[in-house]
Amino acid sequence: MKLSLSQPRLRDWSSLFLAVFLLLSSLVFMGLKVRCDQISRGRIPGSAIIYIPSGKYLKYATFGFSSVLADLIYLWAIQYYSDYSISDRFDHLEHIFSIIAELDPRYVDPYELGAIVAVYEANNLNLGLKILDLGLEKNPQEWFFPFQAGQLAQLRKNYELARIYYKKAMEIPGAPDLVKRLYAFSAFKTMDLETSLKTWLEVYETAQDDRVKKIASNHLYQVKAAIDKKVIEEAIGRFREKYGRNPYDLNQLVRAGFLKEIPKDLDGLDYLYDAQTGEVRTAQIWWKR
Amino acid sequence: MKVKAIALNTFREAIRDRILYLLFFFAAAAIIFSRLLAILTVGDRVKIIKDVGLASLSLFGALMAILIGTGLVYKEIDKKTIFTVISKPIHRWQFLLGKFLGLTLTLLVMIGLMSLIFLAVVFAHTLRLEPRLLIAIVFIFIELLLITAVAILFSCFSTPILSSIFSLAFYLIGHTSWGLETLIRKLRPGPWRMLAQFLYTFLPDLENFNFRTEVVHGLTIQPKFYFYSGLYGLFYTLFILTLATIIFKKRDFV
Amino acid sequence: MSQPAKSEIVLSVHNLFKAYKTGFIPKRSPVLKGVSFSVQAGEIFGYLGPNGAGKTTTLKCLLGLIFPDSGEIRLFGESHLSLTAKEKIGYLPENPYFYEYLTGREFLEFYARLFPSDRGANREKITSLLRLVGLEKAADLQLRKFSKGMLQRIGLAQALINNPELVFLDEPLGGLDPIGRKELRDVIVSLREQGKTVFLCSHILQDIEMVCDRVAIIVAGRIVAQGALEDLISEKILFTEITVSGVPKEDLENLGEFLSVRGERALLKVYEEPKIDHVLRLVQEKKGKIHSLVPRTETLEDLFVGMVKQG
Repeated sequence: MKLSLSQPRLRDWSSLFLAVFLLLSSLVFMGLKVRCDQISRGRIPGSAIIYIPSGKYLKYATFGFSSVLADLIYLWAIQYYSDYSISDRFDHLEHIFSIIAELDPRYVDPYELGAIVAVYEANNLNLGLKILDLGLEKNPQEWFFPFQAGQLAQLRKNYELARIYYKKAMEIPGAPDLVKRLYAFSAFKTMDLETSLKTWLEVYETAQDDRVKKIASNHLYQVKAAIDKKVIEEAIGRFREKYGRNPYDLNQLVRAGFLKEIPKDLDGLDYLYDAQTGEVRTAQIWWKR
Repeated sequence: MKVKAIALNTFREAIRDRILYLLFFFAAAAIIFSRLLAILTVGDRVKIIKDVGLASLSLFGALMAILIGTGLVYKEIDKKTIFTVISKPIHRWQFLLGKFLGLTLTLLVMIGLMSLIFLAVVFAHTLRLEPRLLIAIVFIFIELLLITAVAILFSCFSTPILSSIFSLAFYLIGHTSWGLETLIRKLRPGPWRMLAQFLYTFLPDLENFNFRTEVVHGLTIQPKFYFYSGLYGLFYTLFILTLATIIFKKRDFV
Repeated sequence: MSQPAKSEIVLSVHNLFKAYKTGFIPKRSPVLKGVSFSVQAGEIFGYLGPNGAGKTTTLKCLLGLIFPDSGEIRLFGESHLSLTAKEKIGYLPENPYFYEYLTGREFLEFYARLFPSDRGANREKITSLLRLVGLEKAADLQLRKFSKGMLQRIGLAQALINNPELVFLDEPLGGLDPIGRKELRDVIVSLREQGKTVFLCSHILQDIEMVCDRVAIIVAGRIVAQGALEDLISEKILFTEITVSGVPKEDLENLGEFLSVRGERALLKVYEEPKIDHVLRLVQEKKGKIHSLVPRTETLEDLFVGMVKQG
């Protein structure tokens, strides 16, 4: 009986050759890949995302994978916006984040990040606020969006906008007390003293612990002082009109009939008055009481 | 030459496939449509045309490669036309290589035609010929070569539908490998990280052939990158074809 | 190409085993269980067996389409997978499918190029082949417009394109009309006259009996009979079929089996020789007529059926 030795051996040689070639070619291409990675390229991959059209129907076009897509695009956006070499990356900021919002409107993080990038990096407060508005629109129960909007506005010293946003945030159930205080603070900054006073009073009365009470009390002091200062200085102005000079002291205003009485600060102390300049000051520093 | 005979025969058969013309029609439509889109944009109009055009070439080219490639070997086995060929004095690898080259030739023709339309539209807009566009197209073609090899690989042992799915998966993995890189940076050094790094190096990185963004935005590319990228494509394709040969060699044609 | 000597063995198969792994959890179902046979130069060799016995599997092993689990196959003294061996064979598969969009000529050109050859010689070869199989007129017609018979013929042309020494034909006569079958049988015989060897795989026994020199019968994966036809089939008369008329049925009843009765005629199957004389005498007595008298020897079918029943 002849044993079939020759046939398998022929096959084995060529199979061996093929296996060796397979291994070698894989080593070569892996090496080439490492080499390619070392050469830098001027862009970040995936930037074709910019061209995804937005619109109401985007969500439906993704066949139920919209929230995964939103995640992926968000992940990509994070990389994209961290790459400072791309100088025109802000051109599509609104577009990209609006796409993420459409795909998964309930995904909270992208709104926040988008707004931060817009304000801190692209220096575009309105864009940041727009993004947060969108977030609030899709998620009306998220007090954090108007809160952050207020923070960003406050950062950019736009107290009017900050006030509006803090108010919005305040009204959403679940917002922390801090928001109310920020609202009062912004109101003060916009010289809406009545609102500020009223709100600080509320904060004071509803304060849960002594620390907050103290804060509220300090702010009340400050607002009352501002109100009082306004009243007194307005009377001084009228006095100056009539007599052509500043009063020697505040009692003079009462005696002359410009004021009914001299208001005292929150702690019952007198305000300080400088006859030379006509300026009214508090005896205490409001936050050091 | 035997490989040539099979390649030409494959070309003849593939070029008759109606899918090619359907996809060609869509690609041409997309390119022409981009011209309309350009009118709507504010700013650099040509950019949209270039972007859409190159993306169409890449996408529809890949679809052609996959849809035809996955049927190439499978159909022969299924319809038993392969019996009379393999029983001739021809090595199995010659058969496979012939199939690959035939489809490559087909794709060359189709990409060539699509490129002409694309370049014509761009020229109509800019009245300039940009050589860098040609480079982008050449590398799109290199990517298609690799995808073709993969499609043929799967065609050797799997039905067209499954093969198409696997090939598409390869395409997707190839274009998202940068995600794996990002992940690696976040991993702590250890066995998982090493595994991830190995996978990252081994899995295909089709973005190496993607010069579309650079070309469209006018960014610079180092010439040696072309060289290494092209070699990468060549060796990966050789790898896949070798794998296909090994599988095809042992196959029983029942 | 020199023709091998008459008794040289062109194909030898030794102890072929092949099992298919089927199903999701691979279960081995054996198909070839130790097949051995040999084919001599210049003969027409018949390979028969019932459906599922392993004929096609054997053939595919011989052609390198399937790899046997163990065993040896030698073609012209070489490994059956070597290219030089394959240059000398031709193959016509069962129910051939070909590239539909090629014309007859293009089809043959394609196959011609798979052999070491040159263009000019090919053209002449192809023209003469087309003439041989009677397809000259269809040379420029696309294969998808061919009838089944025409496909069979172009398939045969393809099998002969390299002027092979050994031609494998797998069920070539199935599906042909009687004229086609006669023509094909003539072609097969003419191949032998040219000094070629033919390996004919079939389950149509009449054709095998008509053309083959030697046969091998495979049943359930094993060769149960192998050799020259005349050695396998005895010349013994099994029975005689007599067609008579004019003799009352009752008289014939215990002489043999009635195969058919139509009007006056009766076809009778008579086993024993003395009974034949009896029938003849009866016909003379009753002034009847004998329409035919056919002694039947053992046919290949009888042998075949017997082998299958045993296996």
